[in-house]
Amino acid sequence: MPRSRIVLAFTVVAGVSLGMAAAACAQSSPAIGAPAPEFTLPDTYGESHSLADYRGEWVVLEWLNYGCPYVGKHYDSGNMQSLQRKYGEKGVKWLAIVSSAPGKQGYYEPATMNEQNEAHGQSALAVLLDPEGVVGRMYNAQTTPQMVIIDPDGTLLYNGAIDDKPSSRPASLEGAHNYLTAGLDEAMAGQPISVPTTKPYGCSVKYPG
Amino acid sequence: MRIALPAFVLLTWASAAGPAPVSAQEPAGADPSPHSEAVLVAETTSLRPGRPFTIGLHLTLDPEWHSYWKNPGDSGEATSIHWSLPDGFRAGGIQWPAPRRISFPPLVSYGYFDEVLLIVEIAPPAGLVPGDTVRLAGRADWLVCIEDCFPAEAELALTLPVSEAAPARDPATSALFDEFRGRLPIREPGWQSFARANERFYGLRIDPPDGRESRFAEGSAGAEFFASGSDVIDHAAEQRPDWDGETLVIRLARSAFATGTPDTLRGVLVTSRDAEGRATESFVIEAPTVLAGDPDRVVPDDASAAGGLGLGLGLLFAFLGGLLLNLMPCVFPVLSLKVLDFAGHADEGRTRAARKGVAFAAGVLVSFWALGGLLLALRAAGESVGWGFQLQSPLFVGAMAVLFFLLGLALLGAVEIGASLGRLGGLGAPPGETQEIAEGAAVRRSFLAGVLATLVATPCTAPFMGAALGWALVRPPLETMLVFTALGAGMAAPFLLLSLTPGLVERLPPPGRWMETLKQLLAFPLFATAIWLAWVFGLQTGVGGLTRLLVALLLVGLAAWVAGRWGGATAPAGRRWSARLAALGLGVAAALVLVRAVRQPPASVPADSVSAGPVPADSVSAGSISAWKKWTPARQSEVIAAGKPLFVDFTAAWCLSCQVNERVVLNTPEVRDAFAIRGVELLKADWTRREPEITAALAELGRSSVPVYALHAPGAEDPVLLPSVLTKQIVLDALDSQLP
Repeated sequence: MPRSRIVLAFTVVAGVSLGMAAAACAQSSPAIGAPAPEFTLPDTYGESHSLADYRGEWVVLEWLNYGCPYVGKHYDSGNMQSLQRKYGEKGVKWLAIVSSAPGKQGYYEPATMNEQNEAHGQSALAVLLDPEGVVGRMYNAQTTPQMVIIDPDGTLLYNGAIDDKPSSRPASLEGAHNYLTAGLDEAMAGQPISVPTTKPYGCSVKYPG
Repeated sequence: MRIALPAFVLLTWASAAGPAPVSAQEPAGADPSPHSEAVLVAETTSLRPGRPFTIGLHLTLDPEWHSYWKNPGDSGEATSIHWSLPDGFRAGGIQWPAPRRISFPPLVSYGYFDEVLLIVEIAPPAGLVPGDTVRLAGRADWLVCIEDCFPAEAELALTLPVSEAAPARDPATSALFDEFRGRLPIREPGWQSFARANERFYGLRIDPPDGRESRFAEGSAGAEFFASGSDVIDHAAEQRPDWDGETLVIRLARSAFATGTPDTLRGVLVTSRDAEGRATESFVIEAPTVLAGDPDRVVPDDASAAGGLGLGLGLLFAFLGGLLLNLMPCVFPVLSLKVLDFAGHADEGRTRAARKGVAFAAGVLVSFWALGGLLLALRAAGESVGWGFQLQSPLFVGAMAVLFFLLGLALLGAVEIGASLGRLGGLGAPPGETQEIAEGAAVRRSFLAGVLATLVATPCTAPFMGAALGWALVRPPLETMLVFTALGAGMAAPFLLLSLTPGLVERLPPPGRWMETLKQLLAFPLFATAIWLAWVFGLQTGVGGLTRLLVALLLVGLAAWVAGRWGGATAPAGRRWSARLAALGLGVAAALVLVRAVRQPPASVPADSVSAGPVPADSVSAGSISAWKKWTPARQSEVIAAGKPLFVDFTAAWCLSCQVNERVVLNTPEVRDAFAIRGVELLKADWTRREPEITAALAELGRSSVPVYALHAPGAEDPVLLPSVLTKQIVLDALDSQLP
């Protein structure tokens, strides 16, 4: 085969693969079953957390706003914290993300956020601060709470509501079907998640602008 | 005694005449939310056994606070009522007045401001005793929000007497019921609607009955569809209602949380609003839905949206665009290097020159095919990409910056690039070299130069290219590839012509010292391009990322120097291989630094302030200077619905033509004043990082690349698109003709 042909083939292949790699690096609305968008955010102690750091582990992302009554329903009852502990013990890396813009509901400076975390018994692995809303938008986070499950390969498995009772009344926790725990239990047992996405409910995420 | 008797008579007479004229309500009582009040009201003053009657939940809200519709939209919660009714009574569902759009970008919700009456029909049993009173109780739950939200609830009750007489309307409430009944969506026969769906969009076609067509004649931009389900459509995405005289076609983006496609797309079409934006007329829509066969042809007028170019015109535009690409600053330096190479080897003979020209053209064509194919593949896979997508990836931008830096160094002679890399574009060989170059090698070089030229051309969108590409990307794949071929042909044509025409080649000046000088001079445009790419990279990854890129450039430069100085073919074997190994190591280190840089999130989101250019300090205007605001679909709809003129600048940091247009035309005092005097709202859609909403908006304008300039005149159905190379005169003329 003449060398020019080899070069031709090589160039075409290289061009296509480079383009594919480029496209893969670019962001897009997250699709269930596609790679979860990469991100890096600081936590309340200034430590940097990247999604890539947790490759090989199950990851849960929880959009958080302590001022929102729907989040309050889950925290005042201890429901959220108990889930965080239960799955934390199973090795799930549970990251809470606050995408509120400075000055808006849910935003606190890191030191104050630590106090809020203490007061609420926050049991996530870390509370990550996203005041620009970049990561919130990456994941199409519309409400707090909103839950995301990512598998050890970095694939997005679930994005949506925490359960099927879109109410802020504490009584609605009774009998609510929890999509997050159902999804985690199915996925960690190696089965496909039966409900991979649901319309999330809660207060709007307080993006800048 | 004197009062008692007449009073007794009066009372007896009154009760004999009919039921008590006023229905008793219990007060709202403990209403935990301070920003709203709830009360149950009845339309009539009595109820008849067995005959349904109407009551309502009247919510009044503090100014600027809102409550939600049955589909609250992106966030919020619909008002609900839990009834405690006496035995035998059944409550119907809430009848919801048409909502309005409530926008807190990037989120949109649906609801009501100020007040709303949620009407409920109650069906009483037949066996009621006239003269009894009935107590209807319920607990209303709602969410009242301004930007922050409070859940609210109220225990409410209403008592009504039972009477066999036909119930009379209560004058105290009739105005309220009339008003909100008027705001209920009308369910009317004669409306035919139909929806086609693909993975990303619904194309909703609505044929109103003859009497209603006048609604759309003026400004179908006001028509808006509210889906009943909350996981059906993307509430924030812009709907583009299009009225052709008979049918209204609306393109609705699907919700990211949708699971499956419902058989029927249900919702409400609002056709008119009052001055405060409240819906005054709306219709119930139930559109049977099918999955569309052709994924891109959900809205049948896609082709006309692109200007209906047609294949012939599309190919012509693409060819012209390709020709003009040769003049764009991205391509020009690389092309000049090729011409230099020609001049340096003018004595090679016609065949050799021709072969090199053909090889270059082949390189360009193959690269365009690869790009076109890649774009099609990505779109088929559901990615919303347009032309220039590769530059939305920081990794690609960083790699290109490294490449340009290296090429510039090679041209300057600062480093001696190894044989294979240096042959690119005729860099390595000094002019007039006596070393015999194999034919194959020269041809290969030219081919790779063609590939490089295409890669480098991607940030630039020449005039005509935008229209051709926009049209091409919604056509069948064969036509798309033909357009890409025409583009490549146009770009390769001048050089090919040069190589095939002996006369032209001979006219190039004879080789001499000037070639070396010119070669070194051309390093600087390449460095300039590298700087611009670094700037784009910095926007995408922040200052930290940019610094890492600069470090990567340093390492790469060092690697090239080491490889060139000690790793050349003439060096002793041991030194050669250790030098090459060292260079490889440095190169790998640079790659790692670059990859680490790409993973940095930007320190601040510059989308608003970038690409804007400085605001001229001396700009005078009739009112206030209108600053560029960030474009969102919701903002665009609001401005259009408010009847204001709108100018949208679709731009990106990596798009050179966009930057030039902004600095040289759009941000000059004359143009800014012209906008301000006409009260034009200025929105900037920044596509530097891929944003599906912007991609979708571009697609609806028939484009898939930037720049695009859209001028929306109030009441006009479609915006006027300005050319991609702007002059002040073009903008001013457009403003004069569209907004006199």
